[in-house]
Amino acid sequence: MSEIIHYSNLRKSVHGELLLNIDSLVINEQACVALSGRNGAGKSTLMRIIAGLETPDSVTVTLDDKTLSWRRACQKMRTHVIYLHQNPYLFDCSVTDNIAYGLRRKKLPLKDISRKVSDALDWAGIGHLQLRNARELSGGERQRVAFARARILSPRVLLLDEPMTNMDSEAREQTCRMIRRLREDGVSILLATHEYHTVAHLCDAHLSLQAGRLHPQPLEQDGEERKIIPYR
Amino acid sequence: MPRYFANLLSLLLLVVPLVSADERPVVRMATTTSTENSGLFQVIQPVFEEDLGIRVHVIAVGTGKALELGRRGDVDVVLVHARPAEEAFVEAGYGVARHEIMYNDFVMVGPPDDTAGVRGLQDAGLALGRIATVKAMFVSRGDDSGTHKKELALWKDAGIQPQGNWYREVGQGMGKTLQIAGETQGYTLVDRGTWLAYQARSPLELLVSGAAGLKNPYGIIAVNAKRFPDTNHQAAGRLIEWFQSDRAHELIAGYRVNGEQLFYPVGD
Amino acid sequence: MDSLSAATSESFRLLFSGDADLWVIIFTSFSVSIRAIMIAAPLAFIVAFLMAHLRYPGRRTMIAGFSAMQSIPAVVVGLTVYLVLSRSGPLGDLKLLFTHSAMITGQVLLAFPLLVAISHSTFQAADQRVWETAVTLGAKPYRAFFTLLHEIRFGLIAAFIAAFGRIIAEVGCSMMVGGNILGYTRNIPTAIALETSKGEFSQAIALGIVLLSMALFLNGLLAFFQGRGVMSS
Repeated sequence: MSEIIHYSNLRKSVHGELLLNIDSLVINEQACVALSGRNGAGKSTLMRIIAGLETPDSVTVTLDDKTLSWRRACQKMRTHVIYLHQNPYLFDCSVTDNIAYGLRRKKLPLKDISRKVSDALDWAGIGHLQLRNARELSGGERQRVAFARARILSPRVLLLDEPMTNMDSEAREQTCRMIRRLREDGVSILLATHEYHTVAHLCDAHLSLQAGRLHPQPLEQDGEERKIIPYR
Repeated sequence: MPRYFANLLSLLLLVVPLVSADERPVVRMATTTSTENSGLFQVIQPVFEEDLGIRVHVIAVGTGKALELGRRGDVDVVLVHARPAEEAFVEAGYGVARHEIMYNDFVMVGPPDDTAGVRGLQDAGLALGRIATVKAMFVSRGDDSGTHKKELALWKDAGIQPQGNWYREVGQGMGKTLQIAGETQGYTLVDRGTWLAYQARSPLELLVSGAAGLKNPYGIIAVNAKRFPDTNHQAAGRLIEWFQSDRAHELIAGYRVNGEQLFYPVGD
Repeated sequence: MDSLSAATSESFRLLFSGDADLWVIIFTSFSVSIRAIMIAAPLAFIVAFLMAHLRYPGRRTMIAGFSAMQSIPAVVVGLTVYLVLSRSGPLGDLKLLFTHSAMITGQVLLAFPLLVAISHSTFQAADQRVWETAVTLGAKPYRAFFTLLHEIRFGLIAAFIAAFGRIIAEVGCSMMVGGNILGYTRNIPTAIALETSKGEFSQAIALGIVLLSMALFLNGLLAFFQGRGVMSS
């Protein structure tokens, strides 16, 4: 598995207190990593930093064997990393327009865009919702739109912030299915959760964020230890 | 997204005036509200605009403000009826010269029951004296206009300092002042033109007219081009000449309100 | 009462007979006010957005300042603009006094604080996730800005309508800087003031009806959009 990006000495303070104090974090291709920790541990903050939505106090970033400034790294990664909020925000327009949002800026011919959107709708199983206003959908349906909207842009890394929260079991099932299929597509996924056991079966690795530091955890499945992702 | 802005833009374009390429030079004239309200300009403006090939923007304000506009160079020509102020204006170098072009007169109007007993008097000062003695309600323009200045001059000549509850300064135009006088059954000084226009609607009656001292001369002054080089002094000059022409005199004298002549042209 | 009903029926006749003078006045009102709001609104939205999203020294003061500026009476704005644009004033050489441009300037100054104050609340109340979602999906800042505008459009429309309502009906500023010139800078409110002072009530009422209808229409529109804004968030 090859490395996409490597963060070293990532520090972030919030309200004067040190929240994140990570020596090293590597995001690899095609991995699915669970990031667990109690509420307030800093999981979201870490993911948002990786997404480029927040700025760390200090960090060294290595991308393709080159060390880059934070800003440069963000620029390069922007099109490859997509962050999904805990409750993803859907724009006040149709499901189709939501899904097509990221594509519009690429100035593709309309035919291509509608074909891709069509595929995305099928992938998420929401073809019947395409003209509905996204705001009217149920929680499970919204989740599917959000996933389709992200997937259509072929990201290399997907950051999912507690995707299973407030879901009934059926919606959870659907979400798991989608995550599995995304893995099959080759997307690298970082999944934040405060209930690891709900996502254990999906992940190749498990990092626990405690007191600002990352601790790799043994996987619970198969009783075997599989360490794929470094670490502290 | 772009749709909204396209819509708004087309709405905008709809109302941007199709700016008629009007090449005629613009002359700005400040005059008094009573002059504009007399309706004379409705008759003469189209004529002099056509005769001279100019457009005239008429800004009607109180005399004080009209002269101030002239002092500040915001207009090219001033037409008011406050002779001492006009002369001071020219004296101080703000205007080129004063040309007296016409006059009308003031009248005193008041309540039909005429509590001060001024009806028919031929002496304005005497009339004011009686009003002051009985402390009958008197409504003054109080706005430094030509009418106001005339009124103050009359009080001064009569040796009276009007003070008290009965003397109300409203700071408004002539029409409004008449309305207020009508509502409060008070006396007031008004130029004949405005009175003729309002007569039918007002509960007041004409009480004193034709008295000595009630003549109201109008002067037209071009703003001094030396002070404000970019005023349209050429066109202003031609406008002033027009006012002194026979054609103008004919129109001015021929203007009637309710069948009565209002303005009397003056040969310079 | 008799004269009031007579004046009112005369006013309807004037309106529907297509009296040219009347319609020039109505057209001037809309022409000036629409141009003013089209200038003020985009600027105000950008300022409000920056005030809501950037931290810079003096920000709080600025927010309070715009709030306070809403209360500046139209006449005061008119007087200030007049003094500045007068030939004897600092910008006299622009020769803008007593033109549509002067009126538009005054109305922009009247609309601007109101637009900023109301749209600022809207931006502040906006969901932070809107911007972030747009950006994470690859939108550049200006595109994300437009997306944000779309998402909070009802609040912005409410600001727009409130400000437009203010400027189309104000007389203090238009009178001073426009000069109420017949056929040119005479708009509905200044015409009403003039006709009333002349006692020409039917003209004044006719124009008053137009203004009243516009005010009612705008208020209805405002209620509609505010309702929509609440329900969809």
